[in-house]
Amino acid sequence: MTSAGEITRRGALGLMAAGGAGFLVFGPRGQRADTRGRIVLDYWEKWTRHEGDAMMRVVDAFNQSQSRIFVRYLITADIGQKSLVAIAGGAPPDLIGLYAYNVPPYAESNALMSFDDLAPAFGLSLGQYAPGVRQVMQHRGRWWASVNTAGSVALYYNKRAFREVGLDPDRPPTTLPELDDAHRRLVKARDKGPLERVGFFHPEPGWWSWLWAYHFGGSIYDAQADRSLVDSPENHAAMAWMQSYARDLGPDRCKAFKESFGNYFTPENPFLTGKVAMIIQGPWLANLVTAFAPDFDYGVAPFPVAPGLSDPAAPVGLIDTDVLVIPRGARHPEASMEFVAWTQRQDMTELLASAHCKPSPLASTSPAFRATHPNRGIGVHYDIFQSPRAFVPPQTRAWQQFKDEVDTMVQRLWRLEVSPEAALPPLERRTQGFIDRAAEERRRRGGAS
Amino acid sequence: MTTDAPRSPVAHALLYVLLASVALTFVMPLVWMIATSVKPESQAASQRITLLPDPASSLPGVAQENYARVWNDRAVEFPLYLRNTLIVAVLSVVGMTFSSAAVAYGLSRVRWRGRGAVMALVLATMMIPFPVIMAPLYVVFRGIDQTMESVGLLPRFESLRMIGSLKPLWVPAWFGGAFNIFLLRQFYMGLPRELDEAARIDGCSHWRIFWTIILPLSRPALAVVALFHFIYVWNDFVGPLIFLTDRDQFTLALGLQLYQGQAGNTPWNLLMAASTLVVAPVLLLFMVTQRTLVGGIASAGLKD
Amino acid sequence: MTAPRARAARRDRRAILTGLAWTSPWLFGASLFMFLPMALSLWYSFTDYPLIEEPIWTGTSNYARMPDDPTFRRVVWNTAVYSAISIPACTVLSLVLAALLSMRIRLARFFQACIFVPTLVPLVASAMVWMWLFNGEFGLINRLLALVGVRGPTWLVDQQWVLPSLVVMSLWSVGQSVVIYIAAIHEVPRQLYEAAVLDGMSPLRRFFHVTLPMISPAILFNVIVMLINTVQIFAVPYVMFKRPDGQNPAGHFYTMYLYENAFVYGQMGYACAMAWLQLLVILALTAVMFIGGRRLVYYRGG
Repeated sequence: MTSAGEITRRGALGLMAAGGAGFLVFGPRGQRADTRGRIVLDYWEKWTRHEGDAMMRVVDAFNQSQSRIFVRYLITADIGQKSLVAIAGGAPPDLIGLYAYNVPPYAESNALMSFDDLAPAFGLSLGQYAPGVRQVMQHRGRWWASVNTAGSVALYYNKRAFREVGLDPDRPPTTLPELDDAHRRLVKARDKGPLERVGFFHPEPGWWSWLWAYHFGGSIYDAQADRSLVDSPENHAAMAWMQSYARDLGPDRCKAFKESFGNYFTPENPFLTGKVAMIIQGPWLANLVTAFAPDFDYGVAPFPVAPGLSDPAAPVGLIDTDVLVIPRGARHPEASMEFVAWTQRQDMTELLASAHCKPSPLASTSPAFRATHPNRGIGVHYDIFQSPRAFVPPQTRAWQQFKDEVDTMVQRLWRLEVSPEAALPPLERRTQGFIDRAAEERRRRGGAS
Repeated sequence: MTTDAPRSPVAHALLYVLLASVALTFVMPLVWMIATSVKPESQAASQRITLLPDPASSLPGVAQENYARVWNDRAVEFPLYLRNTLIVAVLSVVGMTFSSAAVAYGLSRVRWRGRGAVMALVLATMMIPFPVIMAPLYVVFRGIDQTMESVGLLPRFESLRMIGSLKPLWVPAWFGGAFNIFLLRQFYMGLPRELDEAARIDGCSHWRIFWTIILPLSRPALAVVALFHFIYVWNDFVGPLIFLTDRDQFTLALGLQLYQGQAGNTPWNLLMAASTLVVAPVLLLFMVTQRTLVGGIASAGLKD
Repeated sequence: MTAPRARAARRDRRAILTGLAWTSPWLFGASLFMFLPMALSLWYSFTDYPLIEEPIWTGTSNYARMPDDPTFRRVVWNTAVYSAISIPACTVLSLVLAALLSMRIRLARFFQACIFVPTLVPLVASAMVWMWLFNGEFGLINRLLALVGVRGPTWLVDQQWVLPSLVVMSLWSVGQSVVIYIAAIHEVPRQLYEAAVLDGMSPLRRFFHVTLPMISPAILFNVIVMLINTVQIFAVPYVMFKRPDGQNPAGHFYTMYLYENAFVYGQMGYACAMAWLQLLVILALTAVMFIGGRRLVYYRGG
């Protein structure tokens, strides 16, 4: 290397170092508001983008409404697991926006403050909420959480595709055989070649792969007996039904088809591009439509059920919620509860719900909220809230592991690598093992079992 | 030694073709990454193989748009993560280089009973897989916080708190690292003994010898350590994954992962633009320091 | 008589103190950030510790649970098979490349740089890039295969293709070992080759009978380092296979499951037991390699 080379190399290094140093000094920092003289509450939440912006508006409104408390909105990734570690570390935030299924393990581990003690002073009561929603706020008879937003899950279908194949766009399927029939008519493929469109496709988006049994009139967990029901006849029927799709379409074509899907929150979402004509989704799907395909013509209906189970007055559907909790060790429980009460006001709840494109979790809503709601099918989601056949994710401490195990097995079943007869009995033993171990942990710590 | 290349022209040409195709295979993923990062989304996910976007769309325009979108994304704040990564990298590299040098000095230029045992211990810790300490390390940092609380340092000096800050990622580096100590010790062992013996006779303290003789002489070795450690910190994923909670504190490696996974996903072209941004500084550094870095790795593997 | 000895002892003690002072940063840091966590993790491995509550002693139950845990068996199998394929494959490839690149040819430095560059890419970024390359529909690999009329599989979904895909990825990062081997080959004395040429050895036989034995210490070192790293594979499969719709069982590895137990399922005790088992296995394998190496590895002058 010549000395000229040395000099330029030094120069390049120096330039990089200077650039790095400059960025260190002048680069962006996380925003920190002026909080002098106020109680500062750290609020961890999972939402980003427009969903986070809406929650931030609620937080800002609270911070401006009084001068005693300041809530700091911190976006946290992998919130369930980070909160676990933070509480264990003795340095929890004051408020956490968890998923509903996090409540049982946290509650059982004594990691949350009960709302039974704190909430009434701020005028909150369970009676304010829609019946289906109340289920997730409680665990083992105690009240642990308020609800940030709640959604129920329904069938979304592409009306244009329905028309194209001669299906009535105003009569969506109500039973699974009708769904199968619509699916078969909607499948489009260049003979034996790759799939271009399907009617229904189980692994898209695949967020609730455990729930099919409920639409066969069954369940995968019996809360009373604390037992896994993965091996129930209803789940066998559900898995056989799912496999019939994979078998008809061909497992290899299915895999290739799924790989061709764009990511969820993009214009390439397979429902928006027309690749999947019917999809199981929450009300927030309407936000995607607004953002990427405003002219997209969709319909909403309760997700179909097995023949004989259909009852328009009592639709079957999953209720999935985001909850707000106060962890044990939070420094200012009263102030935290004051903020919780703020978020549960009707106007704030509706602000959040319409931005997230969800129904309001409260029993009563303002007429304006429903009239101007961006999701045209929001009524269906309300009906599920009110339905006695609405269900929530299994409320067991072992759910995270239970769910991971079921998800993995459902994927294998979908790929036809294993039959339900071979897969489900060991899966039930295994998931029951998680439940039993959770019960044993509870006993060991002297809790009521 | 180097061996001779084959003499027959045919074999010679074949060798070049072979090496060139191997080299191409190795850089292809990166080339493809960069190529995808300057394509519009529709062309990124198309069946045709093109290195650059269709002529219909302007290359600078698309590139600028993709990179601007990554840089300005509010959900995954690239500039912020870059700054965090730089903070961790700088603090950690400085501490690691200096401490490792000092410890290596004690293990090579100071003669004392027990030196061999400590060296063996250093080497032994290189075999410990990170998972063994991964989880309890969190408990240790919590313990440090609790200790500081009990002696009254916390909450008075809130900036000392470990949990919830970047400190768990760089504080341990200030106590040296086994691999770097090993590397520097090998280097110091190779320095002639007369160097410090003369200074000792003149009454110099160990500290002066270390500071005025050994450190200046070992600049190349220190550069290797600093470079290795910089690249290690830049790429580290598991440490930030465990210790960082607040998104405002994320490092690049962790921020990049946000694109993956969760529901709010990102198109391939933006993903590749983000990856390019993370890789670029390390690649630049490599181009500038190639010889030092490669030489350092070679010597680390050999003098066993 | 006693005075000089006492003086020597005092000097000795002072030297020890000096040595300890110089090495104290590491001794302190390692105690705090290495040995203490190790001790803690050993203790936790005998407890039920949900992280959120205090640990309770349960004896060896965490270890006893392992054989009956199908996920544990799966991740052990995946990790073992992956390591068993990846380590030899990487070693062979890097030796071949090193042999080619240590020939006296032009552009050797350039080729070497090309091969080395991938090792600098952060694992998360390389996982992303490879996910893109391996994509069943739009990935470069399947597009290239389509050019010659082959319909490629969905690499990262098909059970039988996940491990091969990961092995290919691991081959991509052999740069460091190539560099070490090239340096080792450069140190082989020239006379040995000259003698071999005089004996009429072919270049291939020279490689096997001269080069390989002479660089065997470097190979042993490298294989051990690779073993320690490969058994801990985490970031790449974590980014590639951890999805909201479930884990691909073929892409589930030991350290991933350990991490999930510790930080997701609240089974810190079990996770620590897994970690200690991993440590013992690594130590055992390294010991085996050293003992086996003593027979196979040639140390000059020793």
